[in-house]
Amino acid sequence: MTLFLQQLVNGIGNGVVYGAVALALVLIYRTTGVLNFAQGEMALFTTYLAWKFARSVPVAAAIALAFVIGFVGGAIIERVLIRPVEEARSPLNVVIVTLGLFLGINALPQLIFGTDSQQMPKPWPSDAAPGDVVGTTRAVKVGAVSVSWAVIALALMMVAVCALLWLLFQKTRLGLALRAVASNPESSRLVGINAGLTLMLGWALSAGLGAIVGPLVAARSTGFDASLMQGVLVFAFSAAALGGFDSVLGAVVGGLVVGIAEALTTQYVDPLNGIEVLLPLLLILGVLLIRPNGLFGRRTVERV
Amino acid sequence: MTRSPTGRLVAVLLALVLVAASCSKRDSSNTVTGGGGGTGNNGQSSIDTSNCSVDPTKPIPGNTIRLVSSFPQSGLTAAFSEIADGWKAYFKMVNTEQGGVTIAGKKYKIETKDKDDTYDPAKTASNISDLVGSGSLDSVFGAFMVVGTAGNLAIRQDLAAKCVPDFFAATGSPALGDPSFPWAIGATNPPYTVEVKAFAEYLKKNKPNARVAVLAQDDDFGTAYIDGFNQAIKGTGIKVAKVEKYKPGAVDVGTQITSLAATKADAFLSGGTLLACPDSLKKAVAAGWRPLTYVSGTCASKTLMGLAGSAGDKALTTTNLEDPLNPKWANDPAMKEYRTKAKQYSPVANLDLTNGIVAYGWTQGALFVKALQAAKAPTRLAVMESVYNMNGVRAGLLRPGFSITTSQNDRYMGEKVQFGRYNAAKGYFEDLGSPEDFEGRTASITPKAVITGNG
Repeated sequence: MTLFLQQLVNGIGNGVVYGAVALALVLIYRTTGVLNFAQGEMALFTTYLAWKFARSVPVAAAIALAFVIGFVGGAIIERVLIRPVEEARSPLNVVIVTLGLFLGINALPQLIFGTDSQQMPKPWPSDAAPGDVVGTTRAVKVGAVSVSWAVIALALMMVAVCALLWLLFQKTRLGLALRAVASNPESSRLVGINAGLTLMLGWALSAGLGAIVGPLVAARSTGFDASLMQGVLVFAFSAAALGGFDSVLGAVVGGLVVGIAEALTTQYVDPLNGIEVLLPLLLILGVLLIRPNGLFGRRTVERV
Repeated sequence: MTRSPTGRLVAVLLALVLVAASCSKRDSSNTVTGGGGGTGNNGQSSIDTSNCSVDPTKPIPGNTIRLVSSFPQSGLTAAFSEIADGWKAYFKMVNTEQGGVTIAGKKYKIETKDKDDTYDPAKTASNISDLVGSGSLDSVFGAFMVVGTAGNLAIRQDLAAKCVPDFFAATGSPALGDPSFPWAIGATNPPYTVEVKAFAEYLKKNKPNARVAVLAQDDDFGTAYIDGFNQAIKGTGIKVAKVEKYKPGAVDVGTQITSLAATKADAFLSGGTLLACPDSLKKAVAAGWRPLTYVSGTCASKTLMGLAGSAGDKALTTTNLEDPLNPKWANDPAMKEYRTKAKQYSPVANLDLTNGIVAYGWTQGALFVKALQAAKAPTRLAVMESVYNMNGVRAGLLRPGFSITTSQNDRYMGEKVQFGRYNAAKGYFEDLGSPEDFEGRTASITPKAVITGNG
């Protein structure tokens, strides 16, 4: 039983990471209608920035700085790279640009910061012993199960982000405008919404969120390099597809489901030993066959 | 872009493409078909040259030996390119200080050419195919220190057909000693199966009834550890408690370690490499599990063990080289030569001499020069035969008392190993006990399927 619970906690630990990145994917999809394949790499770049800043300022301040840069950078990317192709009206064009960004932004930190693995200082309780560069994350014992502070911190961050997003989307005029533009840019322009500004804001928010999630994911890892987000992104896409690409709650639940399923597969399904990545794909396939819009996604209704 | 089912479909498809792309880099199992045949009747040589598309007994024209290589120089495994900095520095030293290498009374300069393969075996194959061309001696003598198991398996068939040597493949895979492919040979890395045999011997002496948890990569590299260890503990009191595998490239092996820790095994064979290795050590400590731990020789680097930090304390590994990080070698003549000359002739600025893989590359360069000098003629066949005819050759930073011995029936070079135990506070491995010598025994302690890849 202890083993089961420990693997459940491991799964939740991975799940919050997948969920957090899925959240950024959902955020950009909800606000701009774009599937951003470069989401993980954008987060990677700001993670490297946070790591660099953390050498001279406290890690929390470094993450805050990275957030600001991510926010501004996201807006710039939307304005300079996405908007010109978006006007061509083909969803594929934007997807191709984001795939290009995926490769480009992945190479950037390797050119600037090198390819060696680095260690992110931990913005949560940790212990350092001789030989440690950044220390080891402390854990809280709940019965026989140990819960790492990294998981607690990521989970708290996720709850806070969900709450803020809910407030933004449901309770503010800006949120209403964001939703309107994503759903129908043309009509929203006609009713006087500055569609350009809201699209830019969508990218900025999502890149900013990535700049918070990235450093936390890196700090949770033993070390990080330019591959930090690549493994995560596949699972995050699974999480978002599972939950429904337009649902914030869906991203979180999807992330947890994928993470827990992965952990329990490792423990209990020996034939899939080493290829647990099959599992989220099977999950997506299953869910999309039954509910094409994901568990929490809204069905698209079109007027004929 | 509107929210449409098409958009979702595109997303899922692209996600699948990403997965497929990341999976395609796994060591794919090699297809062995026939090969060159082991024993020929070409004089004393047992290298069959009857099917060579290029005559391997032709002497090198002019006075330049041209070597080609392929290894990652960009991307996540770019750190491996530092191996080449080591051997390039050595060749430059020989060219500059001795005017080249003497083969059968004539001096030749060593020239090298290489391409970036980002650790992708398909790219390795096309790089080497470009560099080797038809195999004419005017453009190439042989491949040297191509990095990676899968990359070398991908090129050896083509090179064998042209009888172009694949010298010193940078891998510890026992598949690079397969007698069906006499034109390819691995470098001085202790073969992975020798590593685990040594660990099994260590356990027999110190924990004869050990229950061992095994972590391995889900590919040929991991299989060599698992199958090699299973064979090594046959007939002993040692048992494997559980094996967990992880996907190549994984950075987090927390769930695998929870599963292994739950077995309460008293020994841990951590066969992972890259980030999975230090992560396995950290997660074991986090799980409150402190078994007797062995880490793969591929993990015993400054970078990876530095990531593990205190979690790596007391972990064992094996090596056959002097570690530039360990101050005990400070006054060793070979280390002193390395420290001054590798720096002087370094192809790059800021070469990190304390990095063990630079020292490893340097050593391979030194050993290859010895093999060239000992060759009876400046031909591919003669040099290949010289490589298979090393008798107690010492070169580079091989540890005192360690030497390389090969023969037509023994195609493995690094068969003697020294245990090291990690001292986290000092940041390097300290020698532990006396060396274990498996000279000439690699083939017998390695399951046949691991050598031939017909698992």
